[in-house]
Amino acid sequence: MGRLLRLAAALCTVACGTAAAADWQLSLDTRLVGSDGRRSFLDGGLGAVRYGENRSGLELGRFRIGISEPIGSIVALRLDASSWGGYQKNPIDLTEAYLELRPYPRAGFRARVKAGAFYAPISLENRAAGWESPYTLSSSAIDSWIAEELRTIGVETQIDWLGTRLGHDFDVGIVGAAFGWNEPAGVSLASHGFALDDTQTTLFGRVGRRGAQPVAGFQEFHEIDGRVGTYEGVELRWLQRLTLRALHYDNHADPASFDAALGEHAWATHFDSAGARFESDGWSLIAQWMEGETYVAPAGVGQLEWPFRARYLLASRQWGRNTVSLRYDEFEVDADPPVVRGIQGGHAVTAAYIYTAGSHWRFTLEWLHVRSSQSNRRIFLGETPLVSENLTQLAVRYAIDGSF
Amino acid sequence: MSRTRGLKARSAGGSASPPRPLRPRVPLLVALAAGMAALLAGASGAFAGSLTVTILRHDGKPLPGAVVMVHSLDGTSKPSAPLRAVMDQVDLKFTPDLLVVPVGSTVVFPNSDRTAHEVYSFSPAHPFQLPLYRGKPYPPVRFDKPGLVTLGCNIHDFMIAYIVVTDAAFYGETDAAGVWSASGIPPGQYRVEVWHPRLVGNGESLERTLSVDGAAPAAIDIRLKKSLRPAMLDGHMASWDAY
Repeated sequence: MGRLLRLAAALCTVACGTAAAADWQLSLDTRLVGSDGRRSFLDGGLGAVRYGENRSGLELGRFRIGISEPIGSIVALRLDASSWGGYQKNPIDLTEAYLELRPYPRAGFRARVKAGAFYAPISLENRAAGWESPYTLSSSAIDSWIAEELRTIGVETQIDWLGTRLGHDFDVGIVGAAFGWNEPAGVSLASHGFALDDTQTTLFGRVGRRGAQPVAGFQEFHEIDGRVGTYEGVELRWLQRLTLRALHYDNHADPASFDAALGEHAWATHFDSAGARFESDGWSLIAQWMEGETYVAPAGVGQLEWPFRARYLLASRQWGRNTVSLRYDEFEVDADPPVVRGIQGGHAVTAAYIYTAGSHWRFTLEWLHVRSSQSNRRIFLGETPLVSENLTQLAVRYAIDGSF
Repeated sequence: MSRTRGLKARSAGGSASPPRPLRPRVPLLVALAAGMAALLAGASGAFAGSLTVTILRHDGKPLPGAVVMVHSLDGTSKPSAPLRAVMDQVDLKFTPDLLVVPVGSTVVFPNSDRTAHEVYSFSPAHPFQLPLYRGKPYPPVRFDKPGLVTLGCNIHDFMIAYIVVTDAAFYGETDAAGVWSASGIPPGQYRVEVWHPRLVGNGESLERTLSVDGAAPAAIDIRLKKSLRPAMLDGHMASWDAY
């Protein structure tokens, strides 16, 4: 964490020393919430949505500040900080902070380098600023997990062949990254499994409430074993209408490592992900799939594994100021040996209507239904494992932007 | 002279208004003098002609926005004179997203958006870049070589535009009816070239040669044999693409 703080301080020093104008964005999202769900995994329970029955009423959806500060002509500093209300360790905290080098394309090729803390290029729905989705409030199970446990804290390089600038129909990109400070990634899957929500674990924050079981306030962005994680992926874009992404991720963690001061294991996590997004005449169709495994090997216990898989289909139609979206999610976490806790299976349906009023106001009505079985509900809370949860949210979002 | 012809042809293509007949209020003496001059010119073979190019897609619908370039094969018409054009950036789009300019023309790239843009081209016809800027544009960019210049923004990858730099004597874009026309074309042999972003790579040659004389208006009707390649995605909210 100390290293992260020093990195953030260094980035701010560099930014403050530049004279170029920075772009900023501010948004405030408030919610009227109705839920019959269990106490949320963020709130000391094992509900699979953001708000349980105990949190029905008026809530802060998100307060966000995004800053993009050019440093010269091909480097930019990007900072994103948010507050999600009652769950956070810090009232407002960074979700991303990185420098981006974007040299000019030459002969059809362009390199992009990011250094700092940022999202790996996996999600096809969380495409808007602040890693928000223009389709729904709640992210898919896949993207909720990414927001909760994954952040690239390291260096990523992407090389694009910009074929559409050469008279061809498609662009192709390859991406690779080396990262650290993400060894706890996987602990949430084994603790509460997949969830569907729109919070993002902040760089200096945690998941869940400190001391709660089994989601004990995990601090995700730590280096435990000194090993470097990597991912590599490919992206193909056809006339900007079809985007295909595939990525292999492996944090190469040593599953026997344990940080006594932190009280957390290194979770060896690897997965494959692939997705497609097609857009035409106001329609967006997205399909995404992820499959992988996370495991630890505590001393004297042996290796405990949690294979996981999830997928979703999303269809959205936008016309004028209106957007209607429907998504179906399936998710599953197994355990090997099977006596291990944390076995989960479920599916979810999300239906959302968004009305955009001008450039400042956006109104969203979303209904989320999650039906999931989680063995830890019986083990830790004495509850029935199989639960159906319904969360209805009316969100009013006001956003402004400018430069200084 | 050629610049004027080029500009006239372009605006005729854009407005799609048919040529107006001479009105009877023209003074009689002037009309008689004009008639005599026309007769003399016709006798010597120097009577200027007109050309109409109509382009239809393979399904019979008109193809608007196609660039028509008319090159003189026998030197009777010179390339159009350079001009100064503007390509703005509005709501994260190049506006217009297609310019046709004679060789030697300059184009200025203002930025009407609040956000900064970085304009680049790596097209062989004119590679260049305008480092990150907002508001006040850089000095105009001069295009000295004929060819296609494809533009992008290094910050917003979905922004794309084209500048067709041509040494044609006459040029323009087809209108909503797929029609471009020009008048005042000196008699001679011409080569007509057609370009459209959705024709690139479809393998169909749309070059035509023809003679223009003053006796009858020349016309070229083209109906594509193959379908156009799909269009780039347009019309979705640009603010969606931050990742």
